[in-house]
Amino acid sequence: MNNPNELTVTIGGLERTLPTVRAGNLGRVPLVEFIGDSEFTNVAAQELVALIPAQTEVLLTVVTNALPLTHELSDRSGLPYVCARKKRRTYMQSPLIQEVPSMTLGVTETLWLDGPHAERLRGRRVAIVQDVIASGGTAQALARLVERAGGTVTGYLAAFRQGEPPMSVTVLQDLPRSL
Amino acid sequence: MNTFKVQVGAVTRDLPIVPVAPGVSVALFNMLGDTEVTEAAGCELARLLPADIDVLVTPEVKALSLAHVISRESGKPYIVIRKTQKPYMVEPVAREVVSITTGKPQLLVLDGFDVQKIRGRKVAIVDDVVSSGGTLHSIRQIIEEVGGEVAAVVAVFTEGQERPEVTALGHLPLFEN
Repeated sequence: MNNPNELTVTIGGLERTLPTVRAGNLGRVPLVEFIGDSEFTNVAAQELVALIPAQTEVLLTVVTNALPLTHELSDRSGLPYVCARKKRRTYMQSPLIQEVPSMTLGVTETLWLDGPHAERLRGRRVAIVQDVIASGGTAQALARLVERAGGTVTGYLAAFRQGEPPMSVTVLQDLPRSL
Repeated sequence: MNTFKVQVGAVTRDLPIVPVAPGVSVALFNMLGDTEVTEAAGCELARLLPADIDVLVTPEVKALSLAHVISRESGKPYIVIRKTQKPYMVEPVAREVVSITTGKPQLLVLDGFDVQKIRGRKVAIVDDVVSSGGTLHSIRQIIEEVGGEVAAVVAVFTEGQERPEVTALGHLPLFEN
């Protein structure tokens, strides 16, 4: 039961054992995986849908891990969602390009928001959706995309917080940074 | 902009026709951010899924929410083949493919952790659009290499040539100009 390399979480009565990976001198970091687990995705969406900030008109997420969760939130709330990519696609038209300030040494990540998708944020109140918010770097980059597209951010929504992001986030649970 | 009208269940969309190579354009179908189409297609494809399928396998990224909906509706688990190797993967199985929409070699990677969920099982491959079949071919190779049997291929659309082996809800032409 008490395997020191695992962490058990319960959402909406559904229990999942999270694997952990060794991450340098941080020790073992628990990994959340919604991909491949539609049942876990559904209970998390069910709990999160009530927490979507009032007045939100559009959800914004980023590939890949939060995609099924955001889809379910969108389906349950009736709010459309927009998805930023991490690579340029050939079909993108006038994409917004946003660097993510990264915690990892020297490695930066870039978000790409296709022009027509950015258009769906213009003048809209937008909630940022992620599976996990840790350093908050990706969340900040997504918020910046909202502003650059002419929208306003209503809040940050995630299933889990893992660390101390600089912004106020609405989550179902806190996870330890490491075990 | 020229568009091509498609119907998915009760939902219709006008897809933009965009050039992808000299002289060739495609009707761009992108389910990312289209909850209504994803739900309509997922529910319909779940209904068409052969009963003896054990597990769904889908390539990252665009068909991911579709696989989630088919999984939710059918009760069958789904596995995602990633396009980059992740540091946490255990003994990953990889293949390279050239994609029609990117024109570049694309890596497909199955986490070794997922191998046991495919070995000896009947697998349905889930994709948004099956076009040249390059991605499909590589995914099939990966599944067979780890001992799974590809028993069905389901997609929202086939594109270009007809593909009788694919269970699809519609067909997209290639546009030559």
